Amino acid sequence: MFVCRKHSFCDYFSHSANINGQGGIPLFTIFNEHKGFGKQIFLLAKNELIKTYKGAVIGPLWAVVKPAFTIFVYWFAFSCGIKTLKAVNINLGGLEPFSTDFFTFMFIGIIPWFFIQDSITQGAKTLRTNRQFITKVKFPVSTILTYTGLSRLFVHLFLIAIMYVYVIFKVGVSWYNLQFFFYCPLMFMFFLALSWSTAPMSAFSKDFESLVVSIMSGVFWLSGIMYDSYGFEGPLKYVMLFNPINFFVNGYRNCFLYNRPFFEYKTELLIFLAEFLVIFFLGIFNYNRLRKKLPDVL
Amino acid sequence: MAEPIITFKNVSKTYILYKNDQARFKALFFKPKNPKTNKALNDVSFEIYRGESVGIVGDNGAGKSTLLKMITGVAFPDCGDITVNGKVAALLELTAGFSMEMTGRENIYLKGYILGLEDEYIKKIEESIIEFAELGDYIDQPVRTYSSGMKMRLGFAINVNIEPDVLVVDEALAVGDASFKRKCKNKIKDIIAAGTTVLYVSHNASSVKEICPRSIFLKKGTIIFDGPTEETLKVYEAAKQKK
Repeated sequence: MFVCRKHSFCDYFSHSANINGQGGIPLFTIFNEHKGFGKQIFLLAKNELIKTYKGAVIGPLWAVVKPAFTIFVYWFAFSCGIKTLKAVNINLGGLEPFSTDFFTFMFIGIIPWFFIQDSITQGAKTLRTNRQFITKVKFPVSTILTYTGLSRLFVHLFLIAIMYVYVIFKVGVSWYNLQFFFYCPLMFMFFLALSWSTAPMSAFSKDFESLVVSIMSGVFWLSGIMYDSYGFEGPLKYVMLFNPINFFVNGYRNCFLYNRPFFEYKTELLIFLAEFLVIFFLGIFNYNRLRKKLPDVL
Repeated sequence: MAEPIITFKNVSKTYILYKNDQARFKALFFKPKNPKTNKALNDVSFEIYRGESVGIVGDNGAGKSTLLKMITGVAFPDCGDITVNGKVAALLELTAGFSMEMTGRENIYLKGYILGLEDEYIKKIEESIIEFAELGDYIDQPVRTYSSGMKMRLGFAINVNIEPDVLVVDEALAVGDASFKRKCKNKIKDIIAAGTTVLYVSHNASSVKEICPRSIFLKKGTIIFDGPTEETLKVYEAAKQKK
């Protein structure tokens, strides 16, 4: 038992209420909410997909048409409009720069970007759009973020399958392709952990949600999707390593284009892993801090 | 008596009223200084034992809903301890909490999992839920295609058929047409007769008297009186008259 202080929030970080076994050690709240709920998460993810694409004539094809159009626009602008960008030379630290055509370079980099973009902007909004599960019934709230994330992952895997067909013909099959199973789950986890922070905060304040969306509209050009993030000189070269989006975009290129093991550029890997830990624990901290206030503010 | 099924120990809940959106944004990072607050519950303590039926009376804004939300596990207190030992079924907002794209049947399972039930058990009660809700073939259609009456019936059927340990009922419950209403009332009576703990919220003195031997009178978040319904209602009436 603890005493309620006058006019206080009664301890911002308290977890005193113990309803049907919830609460407990704060670190494991999210874990406990997922326990035994796996099948439901998949079912809810499937229904999230249906919700997104139902009522459209070509239905799920929109998941391909939209990114395809975006890719076409960028390719058109850079390869046909600004005529200089036909080939990209990438400095991977080897003796000779790696050279490839612009379209392949962009295509492989932009596929993870679609997932990242949706994960960040949609992820921040998710709790607000699923508020019926928070304010009306008892629900393991953190699983909302998981199943919506999972539905985005399904779309991502679909796009990857299409991209891989292109890769087979254009670049060729390689053992390094299997690194996808390292990068993809890591990407899912990273942006899930990020949403543990952003989603409750966006539910709390619409300004925060708008902030996230605004930032994301610019982040595309700050990340190495249209250009090579390794290609900078001086301190900027290192600044780019701190952008986790670069880690994944370059990671996918490691798998499908550069044929380079994920541990080759150790500085990049270590910086990312450090960031992942920070985001992970920050997510747990923020989720626990705000979870019990969510029903009051939504 | 036996171990209490619901225990509230010095439970308080304060809603913070933010001046504007800026204040709300700022509160994400810093504790607000002297915010305007609304104390929904103030140092509430009580125990409810297995098999008891307890009425909760009070005017609008007395904290009844907040109290029920805490028992159902939707809202959380700022301080104090709440213990609920058992499955809680809430007949409050029956149409809430469905996943619209899922079928009625899938929603039964969803609800069951949230309540911590096992597959086997849900399979056992599934048919009785469908039968009670009178949904027929609609049970395998997405819930979004249901009429509001059908959604309510399904919501009601799920909640009463999970064999809850605690049943929370709001008297202002709407469940559709007269015949189904009668069916619901009978079902609630059966559940009470079976020895389930019932929390009954109402403005209507006579219906509380009918169901609950014990009542709690809430006013502005504080328990004014907790005792036999007869006496509670007297205090409640007196408080009303004073106004």
